Amino acid sequence: MEDYHKPDQQTVQALRNIANRLRINSIKATTAVGNGHPTSCCSVAEIMSVLFFHTMKYRPDDHKNPNNDRFILSKGHAAPVLYSVWVEIGFLKESELMSMCQVDSTLEGHPTPKQQFVDVATGSLGQGLGVACGMAYTAKYFDKSSYRVYCLLGDGEMSEGAVWEAMAFASYYQLDNLLAILDINRLGQSDPAPLQHHVEKYQRRCEAFGWHAIIVDGHSVEELCKAMSQPRHQPTAIIAKTIKGKGIPVAEDKMGWHGKVLSKDMAESVMRDIQSRILNSNKRMYPASPIEDAPPVSLRNVRMPSAPNYKPGEKIATCKAYGMAVAKLGRYNERVVAMDVDTKNFTCSEIFKNEHPNRFIECYSAEQNMVSVATGCAARELNIVFASGLATFFTRAYDQLRMAAISDSNINLCGSHCGLSDGEDGPAHMGLEDMAIFRAIPTATIFYPSDAVSTEKAVELAANTKGVCYIRTTRPETAIIYNSNEDFHVGQAKVVCQNKEDQVTVIGAGMTLHEALAAAEQLKKERIHIRVIDPFTIKPLDAKTIIDHVRSTRGRVITVEDHYYEGGLGEAVCSAIVNEPGFTFQRLAVAHVPRSGKMSDLFKIYGIDRDSIAQLVRKMLSSSANAK
Amino acid sequence: QCHIHFGILPKENKKCHFLVCSYPSTLKGYHKPDEKTLQALKDIANKLRIHSIKETCASNSGHPTSCCSAAELMSVLFFHTMRYKANDPRNPSNDRFILSKGHAAPILYAAWAEAGFIKESELLNLRKIDSDLEGHPTPKLAFVDVATGSLGQGLGAACGMAYTGKYFDKASYRVYCMLGDGECSEGSVWEAMAFASYYKLDNLVAILDVNRLGQSEAAPLQHNMDTYKERCKAFGFNTYVVDGHDVEELCKALWHAEQTKGKPTAIVAKTFKGKGLKGIEDQDNWHGKPMPKDRAEELINDLLSQIQSPNKPLHPQLPNEDVALADLTPIRLLTAPEYKIGDKMSTRKAYGVALKKMGDASPRVVAMDGDTKNSTFSDIFKKAHPDRFIECFIAEQNMVSVAIGCATRDRTVSFASTFAAFFARAYDHIRMAAISQSNVNLVGSHCGVSIGEDGPSQMALEDLAMFRAIPTCTVFYPSDGVSTERAVELAANTKGICFIRTSRPDTAVIYDAGEKFEVGKAKVVRQSDKDQVTIIGAGVTLHEALAAHDQLAKEGVNIRVIDPFTIKPLDASTIVANARATGGKVITVEDHYKEGGLGEAVLSALGEEPGIVVHRLAVSRVPRSGKPQELLDMFGISAKSIVAAVRRTFAN
Repeated sequence: MEDYHKPDQQTVQALRNIANRLRINSIKATTAVGNGHPTSCCSVAEIMSVLFFHTMKYRPDDHKNPNNDRFILSKGHAAPVLYSVWVEIGFLKESELMSMCQVDSTLEGHPTPKQQFVDVATGSLGQGLGVACGMAYTAKYFDKSSYRVYCLLGDGEMSEGAVWEAMAFASYYQLDNLLAILDINRLGQSDPAPLQHHVEKYQRRCEAFGWHAIIVDGHSVEELCKAMSQPRHQPTAIIAKTIKGKGIPVAEDKMGWHGKVLSKDMAESVMRDIQSRILNSNKRMYPASPIEDAPPVSLRNVRMPSAPNYKPGEKIATCKAYGMAVAKLGRYNERVVAMDVDTKNFTCSEIFKNEHPNRFIECYSAEQNMVSVATGCAARELNIVFASGLATFFTRAYDQLRMAAISDSNINLCGSHCGLSDGEDGPAHMGLEDMAIFRAIPTATIFYPSDAVSTEKAVELAANTKGVCYIRTTRPETAIIYNSNEDFHVGQAKVVCQNKEDQVTVIGAGMTLHEALAAAEQLKKERIHIRVIDPFTIKPLDAKTIIDHVRSTRGRVITVEDHYYEGGLGEAVCSAIVNEPGFTFQRLAVAHVPRSGKMSDLFKIYGIDRDSIAQLVRKMLSSSANAK
Repeated sequence: QCHIHFGILPKENKKCHFLVCSYPSTLKGYHKPDEKTLQALKDIANKLRIHSIKETCASNSGHPTSCCSAAELMSVLFFHTMRYKANDPRNPSNDRFILSKGHAAPILYAAWAEAGFIKESELLNLRKIDSDLEGHPTPKLAFVDVATGSLGQGLGAACGMAYTGKYFDKASYRVYCMLGDGECSEGSVWEAMAFASYYKLDNLVAILDVNRLGQSEAAPLQHNMDTYKERCKAFGFNTYVVDGHDVEELCKALWHAEQTKGKPTAIVAKTFKGKGLKGIEDQDNWHGKPMPKDRAEELINDLLSQIQSPNKPLHPQLPNEDVALADLTPIRLLTAPEYKIGDKMSTRKAYGVALKKMGDASPRVVAMDGDTKNSTFSDIFKKAHPDRFIECFIAEQNMVSVAIGCATRDRTVSFASTFAAFFARAYDHIRMAAISQSNVNLVGSHCGVSIGEDGPSQMALEDLAMFRAIPTCTVFYPSDGVSTERAVELAANTKGICFIRTSRPDTAVIYDAGEKFEVGKAKVVRQSDKDQVTIIGAGVTLHEALAAHDQLAKEGVNIRVIDPFTIKPLDASTIVANARATGGKVITVEDHYKEGGLGEAVLSALGEEPGIVVHRLAVSRVPRSGKPQELLDMFGISAKSIVAAVRRTFAN
């Protein structure tokens, strides 16, 4: 502790005063709007004071300065204390704080990036530390800069497994620039947290996960200052024993006060009481300035330098084309990074790893954490992130994906091995609900490329598209159907097969597009012509192209998809064409939990193969003939 | 409490030794198995290896090396430690076994072949389209309680079974769960670990097969046994590190696990991936690869040569028969709902009341929550039936796994609740629950923008999309107290996964206490001969539709209002008939994103009906904080928006 300079008494008192002002503002604001978690704010008042006015280095007038230390409030329900900090700094007006949570305020119930000082939304517990890992990894290995990352967690959220995924990740990658503060205030929402005030158990768990763990009194600014100044060679956890509702006598360490606001009268008397503890001190506290050593980064105009290098008819799996495309994109932009969950030999992201080992992060079997790390790496537009895994295992991270949308994140995800085409591995590994969940993410763009050329274009477009991008890839090899110079756009479908005599439009994607093409060949022999459309993006869907072509095939349309009936391509098309008069619409999709078997057998059994398509086309034509 | 330290010598010496061999209080009762038994266990391990190689060669896919690391573990568990009836795998008194590392399925099938339950010849049909021996275990097989194959989920289900064994069945069966080292990176494993020690599940044993290698590279902790040990101990497990290929050590450690009271046990087994396969053992790039055809025979012969007494049969010990057969009689509410039309209450509160009444009706009903019981109102159940409530704390993945575990073998009818948004956290587990043929009931409160000020992170706007895409799922979306109570009753008796979506705001009771409800049967809540549009809403938006109805009625415009009650299955015929009766004009209104919810369900139902026009009102972007009513207006799903949509419909 040689280099530790104990803060002078004036500073200590000033930090205590700030802590109490944060309490007052948190109470005042929550009482004013009749909503929020004042007791969860009061337990962290000293922690926030020390962090923002003693430990962290940042420019308070330039929130997005790349050299600033980062702060993530993982216990997002303590938002009022974070807003109070920014009132204390002078960035927010007190009056703004007093109208938080209102429909016209950008200070929401839980932090969102509508505020400049928030990088990622929190409020779904246990997600902050994974994001912090992504930021710390970026600082240490990509930016190679001295800014640090601070993450404040509650004790309740320590029950979330995602926290321990992040803990393991941080120590594995020796993120010594990461500091987690655990606010052990004993009480959860409806019960005490399982470990109550057993701070030594928290310490043991953190140490077992490879962290340096220090127990402190979370209401002692001296202890906090000291602990936060310790030199680090590994990620550090400050385990702060605190009292929920500290400063509010009726609520201190009491059950039944989670998420409850004080009545006006009670608030006034409590605030008077806290105010009386603010001792005269003229010392103003200013955060220290950061070291300016972060490199300039631009993510604009990330383009492939050359057209795809595939020949029509050549056979290649779209999952492999994904790996090659991301590797190619990475060749021309230093800020393209990739990660995976120990499936890189399946998703083919190992092609990227082999070419750019320093820009690949192995996240091991921890999908939630991978998505959080991706979100952290992509924050402040510092990296173009491609995170891959088997399509179905993104279900594991659906809460993180939901929050990524609220965070305005631009992460790109690739799910391979979608659908029945995974074959013998059986239903546990088949992604049959991934389109449903990604479609229900408001900021998502869903690419479902059907050959290697369009996969490469999808990767390039995803890199340049805002919001969450999802690319669905397939395991079996399929033929190249597009020319290398074919132009692709988000929301623009391709008509793959067309003829003046077409009688039915069939829409498929991935494997089922190839099945549709095979059905077209089959039907041609019977002089039945069908039009085949590749939607390319499922969201947004090219409603106009679809409607135009369905009209020219007399309103007859069939969708066929390697996905459950609900929420996928079929329902997307249904939504697009619903109010078109005179359309006849039939869908082929997987209706039951499938089983192990050869892909071709499974496609037959679940009715999404070429024969099923051909049969449905014939049926549709004969019933419309009967109708005449 | 005994302190036992097993130590590992450097890697080149693959044999493990006890550093301190003192088992102060418990060693006394331990009888080392005789040499013949030990040899027989070794022989079985090698037979299991041979089966695994043959199975995966026959299917030309699968994970033989992941089987070989676990061969001794499986042999000792199935032929020495576990008590079960080999000819009756689902017997409620049997010890339970969960293969969390589901990709080692071939060795599980091999163990049941050795136990005599499946024919050896059947093993060669692994992964074939007409065989129930799937790539990863599913309950199509009587000896599989829950499907595995999505890693990190087995231990949570095992916790549910162990909790049931200890606290509900109060029986002597024990629960064994085998995990791989790769899956120890999954947070859900540590959620389960924390749960097991918190609830002192001393009838639970987690066996960690630490074979060092993952799928695409080594697992992060490689063979760092001390770190595994420290983590397990820090999470409250009685922990032994053993040589996973030494049957004697395994027998001893598993025996000690059984003597340990008040704590679950972790057996951290140092093993080698591909153990026993020359040139393949502990080598990279063998994950998920069958043995090359030209090498299989040699490898098998090598294993055969180590088998000393091929015909020495070992029989599993039989269980104590101290568990009653599952009671499968339907559970009915003892009294009708006690609400009057016009009473105001939230459906989330009605859920708590209903669940408590179901608990009154049957001791099999159990409930759990993720530290939100005062918000979901499952605390009403807890107060009445504290012994049947499990607080799972803030670990939604584990809660769903525990609920699934509790519901296996029909031991309980389980209801698990939290905010609807947070089931997103457990979607992989819910997906697997469908593959597991689970009958678990999940209840999500605080759906939609109508929760107000807490903001988007707490609002479920994708839950209907999620649950609709679960093939075995029934989705209830009740709109008042009476229908909520009936939804809970129906869910308890409906096979498959049931999801009940409840809302935060107080709304009026609209049904008579005697009203009958059925799965897949909608209610026409308002109708007249002159209705010009059909409005379909649910929960809060049904009440907005009713308000719109009243407002429009004053202007002389009549609209029909339908409550679908279940979103899946959706009552297509009622909807189609009413849509036709109102000139083919339909408006759906939902407190959910536009994708995958009520609107798309209705579109799917009407898909092939000509001449119907559907206008959908739903939330179309990430919402924000605000007062509930303001948000309903802002996102276009309030009475005002419905009235405007009805007027637009006429304008066109």
